[in-house]
Amino acid sequence: MRNLTGLLFAGGLGFMLLAIASGIDFGSPPMRIGEAIQSASPQEVGAANIVTSVVLGYRGIDTLGELAILFAAASAAGVVLGRRHTTTGTQRKGGFVLFHGGALIFPFLLTIGFYIIFHGHLTPGGGFQGGVILAAAFFLPLLARPGARLHHSILSVIEAFAGASFILIGLAALAEGQAFLQPMLNQDTLGSLISAGTLPLLYIAVGLKVGAELASLLSNLAQTESEQ
Amino acid sequence: MNNLVLTIALPLLGAFLLPVLMRLSQAIGLWLGPIILGYGCWLLGNLWFSDISLPLSIAIGGFDAPYGINLYLDSLALLFAFAVQLLGLICWPYALNQDTARRQALMLLLVASSTGLALSGDLFNLYVFYELAAVATFGLVAASTTSAAYAATFRYLILSGIGSVLTLLGIALIYSHTGTLNLAHLAQLAPELLHDRLGMTAYLLILIGIGVKAELFPVNAWVPEIYATASSRLSGFLAGLLSKLALLIILRLLVLIFDQPEAVQIVLVLGILGVISGEFAAWRAKDMRRMLGFSSIGQLGIIFIALSLPDERGLLALLALSLHHLVIKTGLFMLADGWGGSLERLTGAAKRSPVGAALFTLFALSLVGVPPLPGFWAKFTLITELAAQSEPLYLIGLLVFLLATVIETSYLFRIVAKLYSSAETTTNQPEHQNMPGLSLATASLFAITLLAATVLIAPIGDGLQAVAAEAKNAELYIQTVIPATPGGQL
Repeated sequence: MRNLTGLLFAGGLGFMLLAIASGIDFGSPPMRIGEAIQSASPQEVGAANIVTSVVLGYRGIDTLGELAILFAAASAAGVVLGRRHTTTGTQRKGGFVLFHGGALIFPFLLTIGFYIIFHGHLTPGGGFQGGVILAAAFFLPLLARPGARLHHSILSVIEAFAGASFILIGLAALAEGQAFLQPMLNQDTLGSLISAGTLPLLYIAVGLKVGAELASLLSNLAQTESEQ
Repeated sequence: MNNLVLTIALPLLGAFLLPVLMRLSQAIGLWLGPIILGYGCWLLGNLWFSDISLPLSIAIGGFDAPYGINLYLDSLALLFAFAVQLLGLICWPYALNQDTARRQALMLLLVASSTGLALSGDLFNLYVFYELAAVATFGLVAASTTSAAYAATFRYLILSGIGSVLTLLGIALIYSHTGTLNLAHLAQLAPELLHDRLGMTAYLLILIGIGVKAELFPVNAWVPEIYATASSRLSGFLAGLLSKLALLIILRLLVLIFDQPEAVQIVLVLGILGVISGEFAAWRAKDMRRMLGFSSIGQLGIIFIALSLPDERGLLALLALSLHHLVIKTGLFMLADGWGGSLERLTGAAKRSPVGAALFTLFALSLVGVPPLPGFWAKFTLITELAAQSEPLYLIGLLVFLLATVIETSYLFRIVAKLYSSAETTTNQPEHQNMPGLSLATASLFAITLLAATVLIAPIGDGLQAVAAEAKNAELYIQTVIPATPGGQL
């Protein structure tokens, strides 16, 4: 009975979507807002990557919301997993290749992670993408040596202050008498590394927060797993 | 005026910093949350009494609507934003345990996102805050750490996930068709672009998706489980306020964008079904919190019926019922703190806790609608409005509403009778818990609010009337957010 209901629901939804999709003309989206932003953003915000000027400028508070969602998810996972904390190196160590490969690749991952964060306003990528790579860099040694542990206290300090600085940058604009999260500082030359005002700073905050958050979440999961 | 955004930004800031501050100094950590929420209350309360002319629109990031995201503040949004901060302070998780930092951080996130839901004027921004509220709720419910709580959270997670996907799909449909997400801009474009089959589908998807939080009829299976397992303070916040905020989003959509008879009819039918299912289930419930959960579904169904009414008086009934339900249900959940579990255990509880029993009776009387308590006026407005409609569907709504009131009376006064019954039949019952003092004090606070509202019913009614007229005025909304420029249409 339950399966049948599910099937009916999924079938009905699929049929409805098909019927609707036939009514949308693909390939020529209405660009009411998009067009205006595309033409105005290089002068208004000064970021060569227009996606960044939307993510951090025009829709900055959405990004703050996304950061908060990630934080909420990590905290919720912490509430569920937090109680089992006696990890010993019961698991077998990773092999020679994994162990040294992890050590070898660590600085490269770190470099590319920070590169992507620092160039978020110039090239595709940015804080979220770079942050995930940073998290991977710190998680890799954990996979190679299951007994190793990350310093959760340091991670949580980085996470807290990265998240706080995103909001504080926004509040600084407010204190200057402008709107919350309004881009500030000198825009400088379009396309150079130091340009686009506060946007790169915001992306560094995002990158550090995402990196620290994911790394501590992954190590939390790994430790709970090795417990069982 | 720009500092309105502090009511969202400061709770987020507090939530990010709380886990670290708590480790540095427990005292600072414990006081941080209540101080932030208290400041939010003060800020919004000041706005209410200041002579700033509402409504107004605040651009975030300095980008004017519809290019950037704006906050829209009218009396309705201000009322709900204030209620969020105040109720956040009242339902704050004061109890200490090893997860205190995490729970308080999640509570701050919940308050921030709820304030955002009340204020935001952008469809996707609303979705982000909605999602944040959902994720924060998962964590808070799971913090009860019983296996029942995990099971309830999992069910809620699945339903809420489906709801989010449907909402997102609806928003994507709207965006693919109009190329904008700003509510006021959408309202301008709607008559031309969205009053067709595609717009209706998008509306339905969003209605069902948002309806998960608003305890709408087919997607409310999570309600009894969550309210039975979560802490009473959290249940009070969820049932009292978060459901109303979801309702507020649907109201804005109905007023601004989908101002069509079909859209309203769906709400009416789903509301009627919600009333029937909720009230009958509450009548059969054997557990206090479960009963409150089911009764909340029924009440929300009644509010949905009010939502479907066409004119300003209907909106007035909606507001009155919502605020009344907010006060009553939160108060009842506070009482359930000591009286959770089987209803059988309540036999003769009035002797041990006379104040609690008196409060319960007062809440029950107002919920049923005994004059002169505020519940009567709220229900009376709804009845006269329903009776004035000519469409037969509204008459069915009226009949169901009256039936629901009878059922409500039956199960609420069954409990009142049990509370005051003197016969303590079995002695081997588990020892009755004492009512926690804090919960009792909080419940008394709600009772005092209720009694004050009884005395001040005339000015409150006039005030709500003005709020309703302002919220119903789509033209005003558009003019406030996107002032007409000589350049013409965007």
